[in-house]
Amino acid sequence: MKAQQLKIALRNCGFIDPEEIQDYIANEGYLALASSLSGSRQAVIETIKKSGLRGRGGGGFATGLKWEFAAKPEADRKFVVCNADEGDPGAFMDRAVLEGDPHSVLEAMAICGYAIGADEGYIYIRAEYPLAIKRLRIAIAQAEEAGLLGENILNSGFSFKIKLKYGAGAFVCGEETALIKSMEGHRGEPVSKPPFPATKGYRGKPTNVNNVETFANVPAIINRGADWFAAIGTEKSKGTKVFALAGKVKKVGLVEVPMGTTLRQLIYEIGGGILGDKQFQAVQTGGPSGGCLTVKHLDTPIDYESLIAAGSMMGSGGMIVMDEDDCMVAVAQFYLDFTMEESCGKCVPCREGNKALYNILHKITHGEGTMADIDRLKELAVVIKSTSLCGLGQTAPNPVLSTINNFYDDYVQHIVDKKCRAKRCRALLEYRVVEENCIGCGACKRACPADAITGELKQKHFIDQEKCIKCGACHQKCKFNAIAID
Amino acid sequence: MDKVKNTEELKVLQSTLRKAAEEAASSKVVIKIAMATCSIASGSKPVLDFFKEEMPRQPLEFIIKSTGCTGLCHSEPTVEVTLPGKAPVMFGHVDVKKAAAIVNDYIKGGKPVEGTVEVCRS
Repeated sequence: MKAQQLKIALRNCGFIDPEEIQDYIANEGYLALASSLSGSRQAVIETIKKSGLRGRGGGGFATGLKWEFAAKPEADRKFVVCNADEGDPGAFMDRAVLEGDPHSVLEAMAICGYAIGADEGYIYIRAEYPLAIKRLRIAIAQAEEAGLLGENILNSGFSFKIKLKYGAGAFVCGEETALIKSMEGHRGEPVSKPPFPATKGYRGKPTNVNNVETFANVPAIINRGADWFAAIGTEKSKGTKVFALAGKVKKVGLVEVPMGTTLRQLIYEIGGGILGDKQFQAVQTGGPSGGCLTVKHLDTPIDYESLIAAGSMMGSGGMIVMDEDDCMVAVAQFYLDFTMEESCGKCVPCREGNKALYNILHKITHGEGTMADIDRLKELAVVIKSTSLCGLGQTAPNPVLSTINNFYDDYVQHIVDKKCRAKRCRALLEYRVVEENCIGCGACKRACPADAITGELKQKHFIDQEKCIKCGACHQKCKFNAIAID
Repeated sequence: MDKVKNTEELKVLQSTLRKAAEEAASSKVVIKIAMATCSIASGSKPVLDFFKEEMPRQPLEFIIKSTGCTGLCHSEPTVEVTLPGKAPVMFGHVDVKKAAAIVNDYIKGGKPVEGTVEVCRS
């Protein structure tokens, strides 16, 4: 049977008007909050624990347990924080939820506030999401006007207010301790745990941080029951996961599938297969912290444990499909470039180590690598992973390790043969004139910015490899297939 | 909107709103246009404006709604049309020209318009 999507977190996205609270209320909106308020705090936590919901931001920590930890300490103030600092390249799950169904997140935050004993909530959202911010503001105002947020909600005695905090789009602020630092007005740098935010978080008070998608699941779980949710998915990973399916796949889009769906089903049945019916090469899950999986992993079920066992991770839901035309060494370099830029610089392994990794990859993609560099990459990667302070550094080498493990031959080819099979690494390419096709029109010569092409009109042309800067202008201009790339 | 005072009131409000939506769907043409960042980037705003301008000229009762992301990045801008008593139909890659065809052929004429997209509604 063909794999099907199942929409829980995205249940209202694309179906209701996010700027009309009536639309949300008509679709069971705020009923979960009402029923939570009529029971005990512990009952809410038990329901979430029983449902098996785990954090959708990447780590996969049990949400109910996290709530319980934050509920325990006695404190004059507690906080609920929604982590909307989505920063993986190619990921847009949280933006879609916030733009399409903001009330589901607000309702879940209020439920969480009731469960842990907090009356203040903050949504930490990046300023690059203006439309999501606008819709959240409208939603908060409407919910307050309707008495579903604010003082004495539904006459229950419980009050809950939600405010927005803007981030400047730093990837490290997705890490909860860095996020809290940033909220407090400090530099977005992580601190070592413990103490965990559940005991000492925002302003030193117990704080529960959950991701947008995690929250979006909560009202559905309360409305339909923990057993309903726990019946979906695999033994250890319950419910569904939203993925931003991108790259070389026919139907790019935002999809939500039950846990346990295989990568093959997701890419070929839901995604419609590879663009241009080319050969599948790899799928990158978990963003810059994840890894590249190959053909042999296609039947891996999507759940937290299986993806880690395969050498990648669930991550927040970015899924980038690559075909035969992608160079895996260059992909590793791309992700390292990203994490290197985004490293906050606080701890040495991440700040210096990832830069060193990047420099070695740069050498390899420019034909200057040696076989010893592969061992250096591996050694460095292991040290960075085991000694970095936060999740960013601990996972940054993953794309390097997974590509070395799964695409070792590509590295060897770049180092030994000085060639890039996918023809992506410019420094390793050689443009030459195919003499039998060249009619001597001179188009390439005129296009060449480096004056590397010589030849008289109506005579065969020639590319001087010393002068060639490998820009590809000649290849683009030639109408006679007379420029080949080796 | 007035303050909802307790759970009972919320439940009453919910069923009233639900009934109103169902009644509207059974007697009116419902047009939903995806207006997430991605949809707007691919050109949904002129399509929304077109429907808002064109529909009042038709002798039909209608509702136009802008929604969030439908997840169908590969087919944005998307427009979903539900004729009274019929199943919703999702159209992909809608520009103003195709929107005009949707109004003339599908909404007024009941004839199919090419370029529909399969949607998951679970």
